[in-house]
Amino acid sequence: MRSLAQSNRRRRLSPFGSSRNRAARAGLLFLAPAVLGVAALVFWPLVQAVWQSMHKTPSGFSSASEFVGFANYIDIVSGNSFFFLIVNSFAWTLFVVVGQNVMGFLFALAFNARWQLSGILRAIIILPWVLPGVVAAVLWRFMYDPQLGLISSVLERLFGPELGRSQFLADTNTALAAVIVAAIWKGFPFAFLIYLAGLQNVDRSQVEAATMDGARFPRIVLSVIIPSMRPVIALTLLLTAIFTFNYFDMIWVMTKGGPLNSTHIFPTFIFQTGFGQFNFEMAAAYGVLAFALLLILLVPYLRHSLKSERDED
Amino acid sequence: MRTRNIRAAALLAVGALALAACTSAASEGEDAGSGSGDTAPPAEQVTITWWDNQQTDSGLSEYQQIAVDRFMAENPDVVVEVETIPYPEYQQRLQLAVQGGNSPTVATVDQIWTAGLAARGNIISLDEYVAASGSVKRDNFFAGAWDSAVVDGQAFGVPFNVDVWQFTFYNEDLLLAADVDPQSLTTWDGLEAAGAALTGDGQFGIGLFGHLGEDTVVVMDSFIFSNEGEVLDSAGKCALNQPASVEALEYLAGLQQYAPAGVLNNSSGEMRELFLNGSLATEFWPALEQPTLQDSDINWGFVAGTAPAGKTPVGTYGGWNLSMFTDATDAERDAAWRFIEFITSPEVNGDVVDLLPANIEAAKAFVEANREGPEVILEHLNNAKPRPLSENYLELSTIQNEMFQSILNGTDAQSAADTACVAIDGL
Repeated sequence: MRSLAQSNRRRRLSPFGSSRNRAARAGLLFLAPAVLGVAALVFWPLVQAVWQSMHKTPSGFSSASEFVGFANYIDIVSGNSFFFLIVNSFAWTLFVVVGQNVMGFLFALAFNARWQLSGILRAIIILPWVLPGVVAAVLWRFMYDPQLGLISSVLERLFGPELGRSQFLADTNTALAAVIVAAIWKGFPFAFLIYLAGLQNVDRSQVEAATMDGARFPRIVLSVIIPSMRPVIALTLLLTAIFTFNYFDMIWVMTKGGPLNSTHIFPTFIFQTGFGQFNFEMAAAYGVLAFALLLILLVPYLRHSLKSERDED
Repeated sequence: MRTRNIRAAALLAVGALALAACTSAASEGEDAGSGSGDTAPPAEQVTITWWDNQQTDSGLSEYQQIAVDRFMAENPDVVVEVETIPYPEYQQRLQLAVQGGNSPTVATVDQIWTAGLAARGNIISLDEYVAASGSVKRDNFFAGAWDSAVVDGQAFGVPFNVDVWQFTFYNEDLLLAADVDPQSLTTWDGLEAAGAALTGDGQFGIGLFGHLGEDTVVVMDSFIFSNEGEVLDSAGKCALNQPASVEALEYLAGLQQYAPAGVLNNSSGEMRELFLNGSLATEFWPALEQPTLQDSDINWGFVAGTAPAGKTPVGTYGGWNLSMFTDATDAERDAAWRFIEFITSPEVNGDVVDLLPANIEAAKAFVEANREGPEVILEHLNNAKPRPLSENYLELSTIQNEMFQSILNGTDAQSAADTACVAIDGL
């Protein structure tokens, strides 16, 4: 039998290079189309956006934009809009992510066991997620309508005409909450599906052992199920946070960022600045800032996953 | 280690997508434009592209194609490629094309985009063409519409279609039941009294709306103009905080009590729904609303605008101009100009628009054949004024819109207008 050392020597001496190198080269070749695609479609526009954000189109019949460095960023940070955008964006992201994940997890727990009609109900639960965002937004806008909406008519029956005529989307105090509720409804099935899949991997013997030890269901959830699903929960939180931070259609269709900017978040404001006011340079600057903020959201996860892999190694 | 790097790169890519979405991707405009400068035309033939948008489901494209075919038969050296784009996506498509260097040769451009596009060098001055033209003259078009395309004394567009905000459409049955004279709606006092008489029991008197949208701004402007106020004065300074404008804003905000709940998020579209289901007695719309009402069961009528007693209602122009883009060659521009002269001529203009023709002669024939009360419409068109000709109009409009929302939300009109003027003068 050849020793491992002999075998390695033979590999190194091969005129075609080592098999590991060949495998690495093949891997790179296979990856190349995807890398080029991502570079062309994602990183190049990203670089363009950063470059564009450092320009300004001057007045006076000229199409040539001037390089202004960080002037657009300084204007943004020193202006009024930045503060409310930060507050709205984080409030929106926090409440929608928490709402979607809590609802998704609770529904996943309820539908983890098979019971009568659970299959049909699972399909029904997924429906909001399948609906196009614009359609869902129009539905909710109609439901909130003070004159014709379902919510208004139910409230009117329950509490009388005063509350029934509530102007949820037209009141600066309630508009953001109203769109958050709609977004939770629209997006929670995504978390539900992932948690339902994650629950299949929870060690049943641990759940049974906890049951035999007399633990009640809430204790089992807190002490057995959630710890077992920690990686799934972390990933779902991260993904829903990214999706939510970048969400556009629901808010745009329901309120266009109003009233009085009370529901503007970065994507809606970027759209309004770029396409509503033709100010693409400033829109790009807002986009770069939004990207930077999103990276902050990613950092804890990246650090956590790097640490996990180091531990595994 | 490799896995970690790939994962980090993948996550960065996910984040980067968010940013990439907001940059002006030239590729998106490519399918819509033919890149007029790049296409090699057949010998002796020039190909031009015309972009237009469609606001109503009126089968307009078919009529436009007939007109284009006629033009090409009369001008065999020109090929016109027509791109008709639905109104909601027109602005984005055109902007992306302009940003990506794929602009059409000629396009219908919203009156309020003209100054901005001219200032950025995206469209060209048509002064030389106008000076040499026998048919495209200011006198042949509604004055306010012509002026909407004049920036710093130069014409950057030729009026194509127009309409005017606002006409007050009313439900004749509801007014009769409340003993309200329709003509009383033309005065501020009359409109307010009608609002009071028509509101109650799930019914609303006045279709006031205040969402973030240009329809809110044009209605606001017409009340300001009708009180002899201005948005910008002759020096280009904000005049919203001047007494006449503030008085109009206070009056308009006072109508909120007669409007359906949720004014700050309501649009003209929502008011139309309530008007059509019979729960709203009056709505503010341009003449464009007539075909919708003609198809409904509502017994309706309309009056032109509303002004304080003794003053004339002045409307706000809406509509589109035909502009030529910078990317075109001289031969394409010459061909495009011939095409502009053709489709704005009295014989053709009425067949190719879904608002009202901007050519006066064509408009007269059009409203007499297709609209109720043609004389009322024509008089209001002649009185109307364009929105401010500012290269920053779109930002100005947003500020004005937010000012109105603030007033509707309870802020004192003078103070809200003062704040808005500081922002507008700082643009």
